[in-house]
Amino acid sequence: MEKTNSLTFSVSDFIAFTNQTLEYTYPSVAIEGEVASFKVNQGKYVFFDLKDEGGSVGCFMTVWQLRIPIEDGMKVIVTATPKLTQWGKFSLTVKAVRPSGEGSLKKSFELLKAKLSAEGLFSPERKRVLPALPKYVGVISSTQAAGYVDFVKILNDRWGGLKVDVAHVQVQGAEAPDQIIQAIRYFNSREILPEVLVIIRGGGSADDLSSFNDELLVRKIAASRIPTLVGVGHEVDESLADLAADVRAATPSNAAQILVPDKNEVIRRVGAQIQSLLPRTEQAIATQQTEVKSSLEYALTLTERRIGEQSDQLAHLRRIIQEFDPNKVLARGYALIRGEIAVGQNIEIEKKDILITAEVKHVSEK
Amino acid sequence: MSVKNNLSISEKTAKLNTLVAWFDSDEFELEKALEKFKEAESLAAEIEADLMALKNDIQVVKERFDKAL
Repeated sequence: MEKTNSLTFSVSDFIAFTNQTLEYTYPSVAIEGEVASFKVNQGKYVFFDLKDEGGSVGCFMTVWQLRIPIEDGMKVIVTATPKLTQWGKFSLTVKAVRPSGEGSLKKSFELLKAKLSAEGLFSPERKRVLPALPKYVGVISSTQAAGYVDFVKILNDRWGGLKVDVAHVQVQGAEAPDQIIQAIRYFNSREILPEVLVIIRGGGSADDLSSFNDELLVRKIAASRIPTLVGVGHEVDESLADLAADVRAATPSNAAQILVPDKNEVIRRVGAQIQSLLPRTEQAIATQQTEVKSSLEYALTLTERRIGEQSDQLAHLRRIIQEFDPNKVLARGYALIRGEIAVGQNIEIEKKDILITAEVKHVSEK
Repeated sequence: MSVKNNLSISEKTAKLNTLVAWFDSDEFELEKALEKFKEAESLAAEIEADLMALKNDIQVVKERFDKAL
């Protein structure tokens, strides 16, 4: 009989030894497959199988670790540790799940969107208005990202005097949601809160942007004490973080445009205001001139009328005076007598055309 | 430095708006218009100078956010 040197384990020890070996060999493994037999037990434990054409493996995780909704048929990538259970069943203890492929990403997005929408997380009533001119702003982004560079450039071009604190985080990959959550928590716990929290990331693939569809992150954005402005991807990209934000920007550059006014535009507007004062003043001067002119014209009219009246009166008096002209009386056949009217005295008689010297022969009472 | 120089851009803008509104109000008096116009013009110049001079103070915070939640 052949003698063997192999160790003899108890069942429990064998399971423990196997798990130790698995843990050493595969401390963390990413596996892509299709979800099957998905179920949640007691509202806490998640079970599903991960399968492909050639095989299937059981998976276990808690609901708190499940950051995106999944359902049967979805293609996912799980990050897990392989484990042999005490009942001898091989399974994966899953730490994270993310959708794989455009179809699954879209499906996951729609499922979570429907769920959070039903909770009212995206309701317009929840939206807060951003301050018109914030002085202190918190920014969450990767300082190496092109989107962040665009944001800073547009911000500096448009306005000045802002205090901007930037939390440098990953904006894609498995770590991104938790880092952004921590940054939101950091700003929300500051003694002096920023007036706006700006979360930005430039364009990328649907998978790159999927960090912004993480359920915990979306909830954290919705719960932020600080009003949020989220600009992720390009204009056509829609993330759940966008929907949960108080204000959505189409791009990081657009976030800067929403955040602050354009100083050049303000300067133009102020200039236009000053220019608008001149016509108003000129109009007031013109009105005043018209009033003065009108008053002078009225005074002139009154004076002319008074002069006319005086002229008429003068002409009337002149006519009366003319009636008393002795020549006119003489012309009517009367005569003017000069000298003493006494018998024997010479008198001068003036007629219209002749002068007569005569002697008074008789004087009697009429 | 005038009193106006101590005001913020927002305060100066609000003051300018008040001045501009005066020109369209019933309180408008031609005798005061020149004085008010000069004041508005001076405010506009200050606002422009302030806007062009202001720079943003952008700091990356030292806090690390890569710890596990």
